[in-house]
Amino acid sequence: MDADAVAAEAREAVAAEASSRDEFRSLDTDVQALKKEVLDLNRDLFLLEEELLFPANSQVAFFVSMDVGEYFELDSVSIKIDGKEVANYLYTAREADALVRGGVHRVHMANLKTGEHEIIAIFTGKGPHVRDYRRGATTVIDKGIGAKYLELEITDRVRKQQPEFVFKEWE
Amino acid sequence: MAPGRSILSRLCLLLVLLTPAAHAADATGDPMVVKDPQFGEVLFYFYQEDYFPAIVRLLAAKEQEQLTEHVEEAELLLGGMYLSYGHHLEAAEIFERLLADKVSPEVRDRTWFFLAKIWYQRGYLDKAQQALAYIEGELPEHLQREALMLGAQILIDAGQYDAAVTRLQNWKGRTEWASYAKFNIGVALVRSGRVDEAAELLDELGDMNPFTDELTALRDKANLALGYALLQDGQAYAAKEPLQRVRLEGPFSSKALLGVGWADAEMNNFDRALVPWMELRGRDLLDPAVQESMLAIPYAMAKLDSISQAADHYLNAIEAFYEETNRLDRTINHIESGEFFEEFVENDPLDSTGWYWELEELPTGPEARYLYHLLAKHEFQEGLKNFRDLSYLNRNLENWQQNVDVYANMLETRKEAYEQRLPVVETALERADLGRMVEFKLSYDATMDNIESSHNWLALAERSEFDMWKEVAELERTPALQADIPEAAEVQDKIDLLKGVLQWDLERDFSERVRFIRRNLHQTGEALVGAQRARRHVEESMRNEPLVFAEMSDRVYGLAPRIEGTQMRVEDALSRQRAYLQEIAVGELQAQKDRLDLYTIQARFALAAIYDIAASAGEDFE
Repeated sequence: MDADAVAAEAREAVAAEASSRDEFRSLDTDVQALKKEVLDLNRDLFLLEEELLFPANSQVAFFVSMDVGEYFELDSVSIKIDGKEVANYLYTAREADALVRGGVHRVHMANLKTGEHEIIAIFTGKGPHVRDYRRGATTVIDKGIGAKYLELEITDRVRKQQPEFVFKEWE
Repeated sequence: MAPGRSILSRLCLLLVLLTPAAHAADATGDPMVVKDPQFGEVLFYFYQEDYFPAIVRLLAAKEQEQLTEHVEEAELLLGGMYLSYGHHLEAAEIFERLLADKVSPEVRDRTWFFLAKIWYQRGYLDKAQQALAYIEGELPEHLQREALMLGAQILIDAGQYDAAVTRLQNWKGRTEWASYAKFNIGVALVRSGRVDEAAELLDELGDMNPFTDELTALRDKANLALGYALLQDGQAYAAKEPLQRVRLEGPFSSKALLGVGWADAEMNNFDRALVPWMELRGRDLLDPAVQESMLAIPYAMAKLDSISQAADHYLNAIEAFYEETNRLDRTINHIESGEFFEEFVENDPLDSTGWYWELEELPTGPEARYLYHLLAKHEFQEGLKNFRDLSYLNRNLENWQQNVDVYANMLETRKEAYEQRLPVVETALERADLGRMVEFKLSYDATMDNIESSHNWLALAERSEFDMWKEVAELERTPALQADIPEAAEVQDKIDLLKGVLQWDLERDFSERVRFIRRNLHQTGEALVGAQRARRHVEESMRNEPLVFAEMSDRVYGLAPRIEGTQMRVEDALSRQRAYLQEIAVGELQAQKDRLDLYTIQARFALAAIYDIAASAGEDFE
């Protein structure tokens, strides 16, 4: 085969590749547009769902977060509102890792009447020296008109080398 | 709030974002304070590489202006997540907007590099080239090398071999990348017909002493490319050496063995040619080199006058090709039925969509062995990712479709309940005359003002005290007490004493009683204000609720057709994507089948020729 023939063959191969690439690209552009469309649709549906199921006036959202997490490995969180258990969430290793890295998990959403409500959170996991650990934290919130965000924060109390569980309110 | 061991600044964030998950973990470590819980929630999904829900939450929080403390980070995070999710066009739009002045030049250049890489893989060569052109400074050394290679590869793919050669010619150093560059130049030169120039470069590579597995593989590739380039150029003798340098155990050994045989055959050394070809007999028939060797062996035998053996080998080859063709037919039918890709999606969990997704295990079944070759192609891999992503979108929309139906029911039920309760609430509101209560309260206030200003301690006496005071006053008015006798004076003294004690007590408690009543009145006032506020709220709700219902109904009923419309487009894209993948897969299998058909024809012709020769020889003998 001479050089011209090789070059011609190469040109044909390039043209075939280019045509295949164009076809892929055309499809890919459509997929990109659909991804955007579905993401926007999901955003609207997410907001609708939240407004419908948890109207702003009565909405209370419970978040779980971790600061450092040296003294506690989270397994599960359960939440009681006015003595009634409303949530019991078991964390996967992947989720617990996301919490340690700074993620905040919305563990429960509820509708509450205005006024005072007693909240109890029970955390289970592994404490210092990898021992089974179970601790509760209690607070009373005053639910007014408007959404309320309550954070259940797990922090490290370095001086005592123990984890600490605290509530924090966001308006 | 939630604190975290995550990312300190936008810079680190972006670096993490642009790194595959496995490496991202190493790039984290500095604490960042999450100031909006919704931002933390986005991170919760992001760190799990669950990009779709993370993006949705971020878009929703942005829409509700809940990320006021993380505006810039949120935007960059969104760009990074779009990129990770394979939504590269949208990611680029964000980066084009933000990268100009919001991040350091290093991060900016790095981002363009990663975008260029992704665009190249997806076949957007122009965009990839443009992204590389945006890089202004020096990238870190390893990326700089990769960027240069990428630029050259884009030119090679576009058929601009001379430009690619020029770009890579000044490559310095003895790194792995330098070797890859040389190889690419060699391939570019071969493709442009400049075999002698290519030979020099490829020979140098083919003779190197590799220090990594990758370089060993590259050395094999270079030797193979050189050997076949020389064979095509009619330099059979020269071709043998590089082909013999290819490892016997590597992925290129079959083709090299075949080539060595052809080099010998070209030089009429058929007995020598049989040595490497016979070595290929036990290997996988899927390999085109093995298929070709099944014809090459009897061809050489015939040349060596071993006619009977040659005939046997041709017959074996025809039989083997027939069986393989049947297998290929079955696989083509299975793929064309569309079932194959459906099964692939069903077996895949679809729970972590993203750019870095790779097929970890080949699907089971007879097709798997053929797909191995297909998966090496960018467009097939990327097409498979798109197919998978579209399947995820389809499933997502199916779920929403069901949910929206439930929401519509829920809304109707709520509306009905509201309409039933409304008359009861209206009656209760009419009954509760708050205006009159307020009047009472104001009148009590005025009375208290009078009592306090006139220091009317008797007005605040308790019932028993008042009764006692009344009794004493009545006693005082007894006519007998008016008599001028000592007993009357004595009783009068006692009455005066009683009155004095009673008054003393009442005056002593007066201030406390005033305070107590004032406090009660104040609380009553507050309760009345609260009741008025609640009433206003109820009235406002009664006014607004129908509007809220109407707005919600519009949204719920408006979203259902939107979901339906999008789902139809997703299904259409899915079927086009499936057709595209089928076309590639079937095209590849059909090419294999065509080759086998051609080989079968060649084998039959050769066999017929052998029978002719044998027949002629028989006649001659007779």
